[in-house]
Amino acid sequence: MQTETNLENGRLSVKIAGRLDTNTAPDLEAAIKLDGVNEVGFDIARLEYIASAGLRVLMSVQKKMMAVGGKMTIAGANDTVRNVFEITGLSSIFELV
Amino acid sequence: MQRIAVYLCAGVLYALLMLVIWLLGTSQAEEKTEAQLDFAIQDYRASVAGAIDTMLGYIGKSAVRELREPKAYSREHMLAIAKSLDIDEINVVNRNGTIIASNDPMCMGVEMAGDRVMDEFMRLTNGVTESVSQPFRSHARNREVRAKYLAVAFPGGNGFVQVGMNERHLSTMLPLMLGYLFKNYRFGSKGFFLCANDTTDALVLNPSRHVGEAKTLAQAGFDHAEAKQYEIIGQKDLGSTFTQTLYGEKCYCRNYHFGAHRFIPALPESEYYDARAMFVGIFGSLLFIVILGGAFITDRILSDASRLKMFYRAEDERRAKDMEIAKTIQLAALPNAMPESPYFRLHATMQAAREVGGDFFDFFAINSSHIAFLVADVSGKGITAALYMMTAKTLIKDCLIAERDPAAALTKVNAELARNNAANMFLTAWVGVLDLETGVVTYANAGHNPPLKLSKNGGAKYLPAKSGPVIAFMEGVKYVPKTISLEPGESLFLYTDGVTEALDRKNTLFGEDRLLETIDSAPVDAPRETCEIVRNAVGRFANGAPQADDITVLGIAYISRPRMFSRSFPPVQAGISDAAAWLDSLDIECLTPGLLSTLHIILDEICSNIVRHSGASGFEVDVEELENAQGVKIVFIDDGVAYDPLAHADPDTTLSAEERPIGGLGILMVKKMSDSVSYMRSHSRNFLTIVKKATKA
Repeated sequence: MQTETNLENGRLSVKIAGRLDTNTAPDLEAAIKLDGVNEVGFDIARLEYIASAGLRVLMSVQKKMMAVGGKMTIAGANDTVRNVFEITGLSSIFELV
Repeated sequence: MQRIAVYLCAGVLYALLMLVIWLLGTSQAEEKTEAQLDFAIQDYRASVAGAIDTMLGYIGKSAVRELREPKAYSREHMLAIAKSLDIDEINVVNRNGTIIASNDPMCMGVEMAGDRVMDEFMRLTNGVTESVSQPFRSHARNREVRAKYLAVAFPGGNGFVQVGMNERHLSTMLPLMLGYLFKNYRFGSKGFFLCANDTTDALVLNPSRHVGEAKTLAQAGFDHAEAKQYEIIGQKDLGSTFTQTLYGEKCYCRNYHFGAHRFIPALPESEYYDARAMFVGIFGSLLFIVILGGAFITDRILSDASRLKMFYRAEDERRAKDMEIAKTIQLAALPNAMPESPYFRLHATMQAAREVGGDFFDFFAINSSHIAFLVADVSGKGITAALYMMTAKTLIKDCLIAERDPAAALTKVNAELARNNAANMFLTAWVGVLDLETGVVTYANAGHNPPLKLSKNGGAKYLPAKSGPVIAFMEGVKYVPKTISLEPGESLFLYTDGVTEALDRKNTLFGEDRLLETIDSAPVDAPRETCEIVRNAVGRFANGAPQADDITVLGIAYISRPRMFSRSFPPVQAGISDAAAWLDSLDIECLTPGLLSTLHIILDEICSNIVRHSGASGFEVDVEELENAQGVKIVFIDDGVAYDPLAHADPDTTLSAEERPIGGLGILMVKKMSDSVSYMRSHSRNFLTIVKKATKA
């Protein structure tokens, strides 16, 4: 998994490529610094798949954003990832763009 | 029930024997009565004769005193003396035996010496003998008259005086004599005498108990008409006994005539009954004791016998039950569902003998690519053998799963069983493990019949018969692993000696040659048919002869190399990474990128669960491509705590972001993304099997 983050005017954009699973989720978690951030935009166009360990990271970010009145968007999910979001009911919680 | 029968029989026997005793008692009482009556009459006759002798002796002595010496006294003188002495006859006899004086002139001059009857009187002339008495006899000239004669010697034997008295005359003196002799005479305990004058019927002797009660015999109750029937004319003593009611009591009587008198000894019937009662009482009591004792002993013997019989019956039932239990154990221990696999075919049956023979077979997958199969035969019969078989079967399976190698497994099994072989049992076994990847069967033989290999070209052949020792016989045995290779479509046929040692009606063995012939005609890759052909052949051969031993057959055919991959990983995060990398490396036809991603998610979820929660020492992942590239089957195996992920409720996916717990989604995802998920716990391992079809995104 590769990540690329960019903080701009309180908006953190995160690009994720590869696989997000138990192996890589801790790396993602470490890469996301939410101090002074009120919006997170994930770009997962190059994410192959996401396992529950990755979902946990996304849900944790979502909860923190809601706590500060911010927002979180996810863009570019492939079929596999979208399927995971739907199975888990997260497609109605995450703002997928 | 039996006791009642015994005592009932004893009762019947007692009744029968009592009847015999009663009859014996009756005849005994009759004999006794007759004997008492006989005795009474003899006693009476002796007593009367004695009394008459005494009386005549007294009279004779008086006559001798009167006459002083033998002289030819005048007839008048003699008549006067006879009259004064109240006798019928008196003779004076000189020294030479000549009657020289008599009251009867006819007697004068009669010579006694040399006379047939009277010569015995001549003893009186010897100077010593004082008197000679003769029994009653007929009178010398008048045969009608019976008389008794007695003679007394003159002093010095100088002749003698003979006196005679006829019976009728003597009997008139009876009342006097009898009163003196028989007043208190009894015989038996209640017997008594009656004596009556023949012409007047007047009683001259009354029993002391009944004095004055009757004056005549008729008054005493004597029925003359009745008694007459028992009289035989001319007989003094009527030998037969008859009954009369005397003094109101029924008596057994006899009749004895003496002169003008009738003498009757009477024995009351009660005495007769008493005699019988005593006889019956004594012998009845003895009989009762004997019969009761006999019944008691018989009952004891019979009840002991029936207890013994019951014991044996119970023992038989117990053994039959044992056999049944043993058979149930044996049959229950066998796998009953034959495996279905595209890579191999296996079929096995065990046809139990009437009594358990101790055969068993087993088969199971050690892992996705290794199939263990075996046949074995435990020595002995019954529950012990059945339980031993269970132990052996479990032990072999455990050791095979642990060791994977049949020889190593049997070495371990033998070490275990030989160490604790209290029952002195042993077993033979042929154990093989088929590697589905290569078709190689690794096997070990512990004294078992060699299996047959069925080849595509070349028919059936026995495997080498060389074998290790039987299991549990001795410690420290090390079995040698051997291998045989099966091409796809070839098979092995295993059996127990119940096949080769099956007997026909002439006690001929089925034998190995016949088995080889039979197998030769069987299809090479169809174990079910092969087993059936062999069993039918054995059945036809036996032709109704009883089956002595279990008949066990097992066939296994190698069909194809599975598209299967298997790998074990350490229970750490790195193990999960390795597993994911291994999954990527697999050469599986149907794997599209989408399917591969789904498999990765599933792998990640399951493996992370195992690593985090199970405490397993490792985990194994088997990946197998389904037939016709329809999809993939993944089996996750771990030896951690029992955990069935399917047993837990799914998390609620409709909750809002604030309410949603983080976690618990993994299993849900696995379930939703798979076509089927199943869980099994076996041999302390968790088996989670997931099927993912290729068509589903």
